[in-house]
Amino acid sequence: MKQRVFWSAAIAGMLALAGCGSATGNEPSSNSASGKLVVWDWKSSDKTATAYVEKAKADFAKKHPGVTVEFVAQPFDQYYTLLGAAIQAGKGPDVMMFNGGGQIRDRVDALVPLDQYVTQDKARLAGWDAFVKDGKAYASPVTLQGHPIYFNKGLYKKAGLDPERPATTWSGFTADCAVVTRATGASCFALGNKEGIGIQFFLSAFGSGILTPQEYDDWIAGKRDWNSADVKQVFQLWKDVNDRGLNSKGGNSTTLFTDAFGIFQSGKATNIVGLMSDIGHWKDFNEFLGADNVGVMKSPVITAGATPSLPFDGGIGYGVAKWTKDPALAADLVRSLTTTDALAAFYAAAGAVVSDTTVKTSDGGPAVSAIVADLKTGKPALHVALSSKTIELMGRLSQQILEGSVSVDGALKQLGESDRS
Amino acid sequence: MPLGDSLPLSARSARAERADDMDAAPRRRSRSGRSSWERLAPLVLVAPAVLVIVVFRLWPLLLGVNFSFTGDGDRNGAAVGLDNYAELFADPLFLGALRNVVWLVLLLPIAVAIPGMLATFIYLRVPGHRFYRSVYFFPAVLSPVIVGSIFNLLLAFDGPLNGLLGLVGLGPVDWLGDSRVAMFTVVGVHIWATFGMALVVFLSGFATLDPALLDAARSDGASLPQVIRHVIVPGLSRTIQFVFVTTMIGMLTSMFGLLYVMTSGGPGGSTYLPEYYVWIQQGQMNRPAFAAAASTVLFLVMLVVGLAQVGFLRRTGKED
Repeated sequence: MKQRVFWSAAIAGMLALAGCGSATGNEPSSNSASGKLVVWDWKSSDKTATAYVEKAKADFAKKHPGVTVEFVAQPFDQYYTLLGAAIQAGKGPDVMMFNGGGQIRDRVDALVPLDQYVTQDKARLAGWDAFVKDGKAYASPVTLQGHPIYFNKGLYKKAGLDPERPATTWSGFTADCAVVTRATGASCFALGNKEGIGIQFFLSAFGSGILTPQEYDDWIAGKRDWNSADVKQVFQLWKDVNDRGLNSKGGNSTTLFTDAFGIFQSGKATNIVGLMSDIGHWKDFNEFLGADNVGVMKSPVITAGATPSLPFDGGIGYGVAKWTKDPALAADLVRSLTTTDALAAFYAAAGAVVSDTTVKTSDGGPAVSAIVADLKTGKPALHVALSSKTIELMGRLSQQILEGSVSVDGALKQLGESDRS
Repeated sequence: MPLGDSLPLSARSARAERADDMDAAPRRRSRSGRSSWERLAPLVLVAPAVLVIVVFRLWPLLLGVNFSFTGDGDRNGAAVGLDNYAELFADPLFLGALRNVVWLVLLLPIAVAIPGMLATFIYLRVPGHRFYRSVYFFPAVLSPVIVGSIFNLLLAFDGPLNGLLGLVGLGPVDWLGDSRVAMFTVVGVHIWATFGMALVVFLSGFATLDPALLDAARSDGASLPQVIRHVIVPGLSRTIQFVFVTTMIGMLTSMFGLLYVMTSGGPGGSTYLPEYYVWIQQGQMNRPAFAAAASTVLFLVMLVVGLAQVGFLRRTGKED
């Protein structure tokens, strides 16, 4: 009898609770009032970011000598999980780092719009779009992130090709690959798609060589036609490249970071879609291949009417939590984190192509010079415009396309539905 | 059996008190005080444990269940009824994760048989049995992340295992990149990494086995399979049941680390388990309420499996 009463009470309690309230706290909780700002990121523990953080701290200390700044570096693979817990609790750092695109757009409810605080930085910094939602900027860009196609000039030379004149058409490009493979045994592409990231890079790197400029702009503006022939061509090419044996073997069980980059760096593959900042970028490749052997190209023309361009966006940036007690103070710290001095130090040590395009990159070698030159005509990357949910689905479907368990049409149908929901 | 013998201590104490001499007042007061302490003592002693369970287990569990009836994103905090559950059971990825749970249950006998067989050989003192005993236990002290990293290297497409297969003329297998193979690969590695503990349990079970039975079987000319089937298995029935239960719990709750390191749920979501799904939804998709719904379903699955195990053990106990 007692047991029955207990269970009745427990069930009644559960029903009374059901559906009432969320876990998001409403009370602000931060340290800013006590003269301390806490920053969460995944960069400040890197040796290559030490000078950058010191310069930003020094700049902020000049403006606000009584305020302490504490950087808490989180592991990147746990970062958004930890941040999600902090957001749900309504407690956490005052300033936090974000990747541009879906990762910040999915979380703008927890952030303060920064437009009124960063007006003076708008013209100096590039890459804002990746941190904008509904016309408001939620973070200031620190780096620019893009997806150039890197190639190994040394392999071109060994195969008797001119590394200074890579092919500009798809047929020419694959013909060059065949020549290099015959001469050196290197595959055409180093593929790492274990986490489903390979397709994102592929879509953005070759998209401008397939979509018309109008289709490209529509895609970025959110008017995506997943049934169009050109969009289908992107995913068909993803499959064909693998079916023709142009990828390094075992792509679905190879991590992009850092196994696929390792394949490229060791000369086992001719091309790879890499990054501009963070890792897998020109500076990493310079160290392994030598600066003179690292080539950069835009997508070859794959369908008539396409105008290839460098795909890039704001890479990482700092935003301000809505629970911080003094948003103006926290925004000032974000401004210190994007000064020219600090960003120049970040470029020098980490090789990041920073958001401040006045930072000189002429000492970095031909690859970074080519990338920076392409920034003027570059366009936002196609995958960055997608939501996290569609990106995750695209990653899984890309693996299934490669192993043949899902057709290109079937994948596009699912992606279209996900993108519209 | 007389009923009185099975009365609880407190009841016996009360009955004895009634039979006591009525005029011994001070003594009665003292005994009465002790009696109420005796009644309260068990409650006081279990109170901290109950409090910890209620505050840190049951209450968060209720909060989690409650949270699963709310929305994410634009509907954050709003009551959404069973929407999350409806979406969950319409998601092929989650259904695939539940199917993988069924695979784990089906593969369970293998996970129990391997340490059982190896323990049998050690018990029967095969040459080098002392060496094997420590070697077999060694993986149990490694963290899943280290085990996963080691096997990532061994099972890479251009790794040493495929190299060996190539030497004997067999084509390479994409152990972690082929959706038909990957789940079995991860389960195989999990079994390798955890069978040492089950082996120890089996060896302790062997310690209770009467050696005279083995000697008798050998004297009667029983072969090794006959000894295993007619002497060892019946003698270790309770141990085998225990290993079944603990291995099943381990497979359902402890494979996150391996999955995270070895396949990231891929390829194509073929190695998702409910735990991994919950983590992705909460951490990567920023959908905590939806993840709470998935957690609740996982909890119910564990509850059903747990109750089935308890029932199984209770029935076995009665048979003994």
